Amino acid sequence: MSVRFAGVSFRYPGADEDALRNVTLAFQPGEVTLLTGTSGAGCSTLLLTAAGLAPHVTGGTRTGEVDTLGVDPMTESGRQALAGRIGVLLATPWTQLSGMAYTVHDEVAFGPANLGWDREEIRAHVHESMKVAGVSHLAQRDPRTLSGGELQRVMFAGVMAMAPDLYLLDEPAAELDPAAAGDLYAMLSTLALDRAVVVASTDVDRLAEVVDRVVELEHGAVVADGPPAVVLGAAAAVERGTAPTVAVIAHRAGVPPDYPTSVAMAARRWSA
Amino acid sequence: MVRLSARLLALIPLAVGINLAMGKFASTLSLPVFLDTVGTVLVAALAGPGAAVLTGAVSQTVFTVVDGKLMWLAFMPIQLGVAVYAGLAARAGVFRSAWRAGAGGLGLGVLAATLSWPISLLLFGGVTASGVSLIATILTALHIPVAWAVYGASLATDLLDKTISFMLVFTILQSLPSRTVARFPLAARARGRA
Amino acid sequence: MIIGYVAGEGLLHRAHPFTSLTIAAGVTLLAFALPGTLSPWVLAGMLVVLAVAAGLTGAVVTTLVFSAPLWVFLGIIYGVFGTDWAVAAVYAGRISAILLAFLLALAAVHPGRLVDALVARRVSFAIAYLLAATLQAVPRLQHRAATILEAQRCRGLRTGGSPWRRIRSIVPLAIPLVQGALAEADDRAVALEVRGAVSGCARTPLSPPRDHLLDRVVRWGTVLVVLAAVVLRVVT
Repeated sequence: MSVRFAGVSFRYPGADEDALRNVTLAFQPGEVTLLTGTSGAGCSTLLLTAAGLAPHVTGGTRTGEVDTLGVDPMTESGRQALAGRIGVLLATPWTQLSGMAYTVHDEVAFGPANLGWDREEIRAHVHESMKVAGVSHLAQRDPRTLSGGELQRVMFAGVMAMAPDLYLLDEPAAELDPAAAGDLYAMLSTLALDRAVVVASTDVDRLAEVVDRVVELEHGAVVADGPPAVVLGAAAAVERGTAPTVAVIAHRAGVPPDYPTSVAMAARRWSA
Repeated sequence: MVRLSARLLALIPLAVGINLAMGKFASTLSLPVFLDTVGTVLVAALAGPGAAVLTGAVSQTVFTVVDGKLMWLAFMPIQLGVAVYAGLAARAGVFRSAWRAGAGGLGLGVLAATLSWPISLLLFGGVTASGVSLIATILTALHIPVAWAVYGASLATDLLDKTISFMLVFTILQSLPSRTVARFPLAARARGRA
Repeated sequence: MIIGYVAGEGLLHRAHPFTSLTIAAGVTLLAFALPGTLSPWVLAGMLVVLAVAAGLTGAVVTTLVFSAPLWVFLGIIYGVFGTDWAVAAVYAGRISAILLAFLLALAAVHPGRLVDALVARRVSFAIAYLLAATLQAVPRLQHRAATILEAQRCRGLRTGGSPWRRIRSIVPLAIPLVQGALAEADDRAVALEVRGAVSGCARTPLSPPRDHLLDRVVRWGTVLVVLAAVVLRVVT
């Protein structure tokens, strides 16, 4: 078990309401989970709390128990134990830039260098991650001259280079064109071979086919948790506005639930 | 060596950026001030004198590099003095009202001029920033001794610069939304409300 | 006229970053410690020779451009009104020598290389990071300031008028700048934490610059010359 939440609530400093309300769930290695909900539902907060960034960097108060890779990320010793073991990717690439690298290679190497790995190990990991992320040809470029899409793939390489035991990705394809987004999503199940991968996103149309599990949040509480076809194909998902486009169309066409959640699924159901 | 938090590591470079960018606004508005300590004073109010001192030190160093003139490094004591003064002033509630901020800025102006005057005079003969040099030249033409001319010029620019800077930081602090202020434990106390 | 790093393969570029910086510091101290009106000018002359040898004549041009107005002010204050041209000459020579030494160091030392050198010597990573990150942050915020200026102008901000109005115009410029910076700091703090920047581990320098024997000789030589000059100055 990679992450376990037991009755977790979280409130940002100065906020009137909790951003997470009594959340209880667990993420397992080998599983790709989509965390989704309407805007402000608490998906990003859940990722930050799992990483211990909330409350340590964001401020605020957390109640309940969180166990990430065996430790509580809110404690000092927990954070030290987790250094470099959680791969977090945020939606905006340029604010994740280290701020001190002059080449893409050095940018990707920032994390491993900070962890004190020896140079040969760093070189090997950086080389491999840049290859997987498709940015090897950008190695000597200045990161500040890249496009949003290129930069996001570089940041992804930077996260992979640290060989984390858990991936927490917040809208990882926000800056990517459809082809690149598809490539990134296709990579997720490979990443999940022996780790948990959690993606917070509203891109349900494309992710429905790729993930193993969907957790839906509303106003900080878990409202659904299960396989994509069940959660996203339910009438409730359409009502909440979190269902894929195909499901919405099926609903409007008068088809009874559960709705298909992808074009391929719809084709299978109605072409027989 | 104190371990810096990620929050400060992220904030300080941006605060220095603010220091150096404010000058652009001032010159576009044709104001005879630098406003090059606004970022440092802001950090003092948000995170205390220690963080502000670090901001000031990094700021003076980087300004020296960016401007290409090593002599700016000699004026480090002024940035550090500004940082400590601003941190203590913030604690004392100087940013809770416009009048207090203005008065605090005047006091800082005197301190800054008094610190920079001997450095400018003894090390560089009184010629450093063009504006100050110009005023000093005019004063010497009026037969005022060089030492007093340089002090007078420093005082004139620093009183204006530091008073405007303090009142600007007061205005900025009052405009910040509560949730931003809530992230900096000292900020609520500095501006007088959460 | 160029300020800051200039790519190249010359003498100073191949030297260890600390060497160029030591020379700059040494020249600065010598400019004050050496007696005589002409000694700062002799120092400046030696630096010009070094600049040419290292392929950095641009630095000499920049020094002239920066120094000329200061020479004029000094000449007027000390020469015309003070009738002591010797004093003006000393200050002028001092400023010019220090300027040139520093510009040479800036032109030859790439910030990334300096950070690697600092990390290799176990200087606190926080310091090295702050210097490097600030160097990158400064142009970014300058650019943002220009954008804010344009945007507010489109909304009717006027940059002329009475002094009081102009002072008040700073507020709608400064507030967006600061609020944007604070929001950015939030995101960056998360990224830094997650990428191990505050993990407490000793960072590995990615390509530490080579420290040749000649580098060490030049650095120690500079230190000895400065010490000798200071002692001489104090004793005589």
